[in-house]
Amino acid sequence: MYSLILLNGGIGSRTGANQPKQLLKLRGIPILVYALVTADRVEQISQIVVNYPPDWREQIEEVLEAYAISTPVTLVEAGHSRHSSVAAMLPHCTNDDVIIHESARPLVRERDFRNLIESDHKNVSLMSEISFTVAPVDPETAEVTGSLDRARLRNVQLPQKFSKSDLQAAHDRAVEQGVEFTEDATLVADSGYPVHFIDGSDENFKVTTSTDLKMAGFLLRPEEDDDE
Amino acid sequence: MSKTALVTGASRGIGLETTRRFILNHDDITTVVMFARDSEDFDDNVAALESELPIGRKIVPYRVDVGDRSALKKAVKQAYDEVGNIDILINNAGYTNPVPLQQVKMADFEKTMNVNLYGPFTIVKTLLNRGNRFDLIVNIASTAGINGRSGWLTYSASKAAVINMSQVMREELSIYGTRVVCLSPAAPRPHCAARSRRRRIPARSCSPSTSLR
Repeated sequence: MYSLILLNGGIGSRTGANQPKQLLKLRGIPILVYALVTADRVEQISQIVVNYPPDWREQIEEVLEAYAISTPVTLVEAGHSRHSSVAAMLPHCTNDDVIIHESARPLVRERDFRNLIESDHKNVSLMSEISFTVAPVDPETAEVTGSLDRARLRNVQLPQKFSKSDLQAAHDRAVEQGVEFTEDATLVADSGYPVHFIDGSDENFKVTTSTDLKMAGFLLRPEEDDDE
Repeated sequence: MSKTALVTGASRGIGLETTRRFILNHDDITTVVMFARDSEDFDDNVAALESELPIGRKIVPYRVDVGDRSALKKAVKQAYDEVGNIDILINNAGYTNPVPLQQVKMADFEKTMNVNLYGPFTIVKTLLNRGNRFDLIVNIASTAGINGRSGWLTYSASKAAVINMSQVMREELSIYGTRVVCLSPAAPRPHCAARSRRRRIPARSCSPSTSLR
C-alpha cells in the first residue's frame, strides 16, 4: 500500500489571486478537489498526507469534509519550500512506499497513478518528452554555451513513487549537505538510488499562471456530444 | 456487479414502474430503495412487488415525504447506513397544483419547490457529503420546465430549476465519473393528468411537446 504526499502548500503568488491557487475554482470546483477525488479512487493508496499553507487549514478541512474523501487524510503545515514540505510530510507516511503528487496538477488521471504503481521499479517518476529545444546559457554574459541533446532530457512531472527509506535517506543527505532540490526524482537519483521514468501525458501540466487555469478549464469542459 | 438504486415517488406511476423494471429485469441491480409518502397504494404495491421478487433481490421501502427536508435527510442517512452506496438515483417524486398566478398560495409554491427541487438536491448533497459515489443520477423534469405554461407557474418554475440544476450537477459530478441525466417526459404523467381532470384543466396543458436530453 502507498501513502500519498499531496503537496498543497503553495500560496499561489504567480496566479495573481488573493488566495492559494489550490483553492481557486476550476470549472467551479476548488483545484485541490480534482487530485484528491482521483487519488481517492485508487485503492492502493491507503493514506493521503496533505499539507496546507499556514493560516489556511480551516478552508482545506472544509473542502475535505464536503467532498467526503474516504481515504484517511493527515494534515501537515507547509514548510518554507517544496523541498522542506516533503521532508516534513514524509515522517507522517505510515506505508513503506510513498507517492508524491501536487494539487496544482488537477488533470492527473487515475491511470497515471495506476501506471506508476504497476511499474516494477521502486522509484519512478512520470516524465514527458520535451517538445522544444533547451539551450545551456551563461545568464551573466547572455552567451549560449553549447547544446543539449533533447532526446536525453525529460520534463519531470508528478506523480512520482518512491520507497520511503530511499526518499528519507536522500532528504537526510540533502540536510547534511545543506542543499535543496526543486523536486524529488532528481534528489533521489543524485543520492545514488535508481530512479526510472514512465511516459506521462502532456495534459497533466502544472497550473501555475492564470493562463494555465484557463487552459485546464478548457480541457475539462464537457464534450459537446458526449451524451448523444 | 451488484448495484443499488434509490427511486423517489416510488409508490405509483413512473417511480413504481422504474422500481419494478430495475428489480425484476435488470441483471446488475439487486437492491432498490423506494421513497414515497405513506399511503395504501404504497403498501399494496410494495406487497405486490415483494411477492414476485427473485431470489437475491430486495426492495427497501421508506415512508417519507420528499418535501419534508428534515425527514428526508434522516431517511437518506438511514438508507445509506442500511444499504450502503447508492449507485443509481432516480429523482422522480413530483408535486403540482396548477392554478393561475393570481391564485398561487405562497405555501403551495414553497411545497412545489420543496418536492420538485430542494428534495432532489437534498438527497444528492446528503449522500455526497457522506462519501456516496453515484454512477448515474436521473432527474425527472418536465417540458413545462422548458417552456412555461399558462396556469402552471409554480410547476414550470420548479422544473426549469431542475433542468438547470441537472446541468450543473452533470458538470460538477463529472469528477466522480457520475452521469447526470435530466428527462422531461414527453407524455402526461398519470397523476398529473388525473389532477388536471379533477380541476378541469385540459390534460394537454401538462402534455409536453418536446423532450430534453
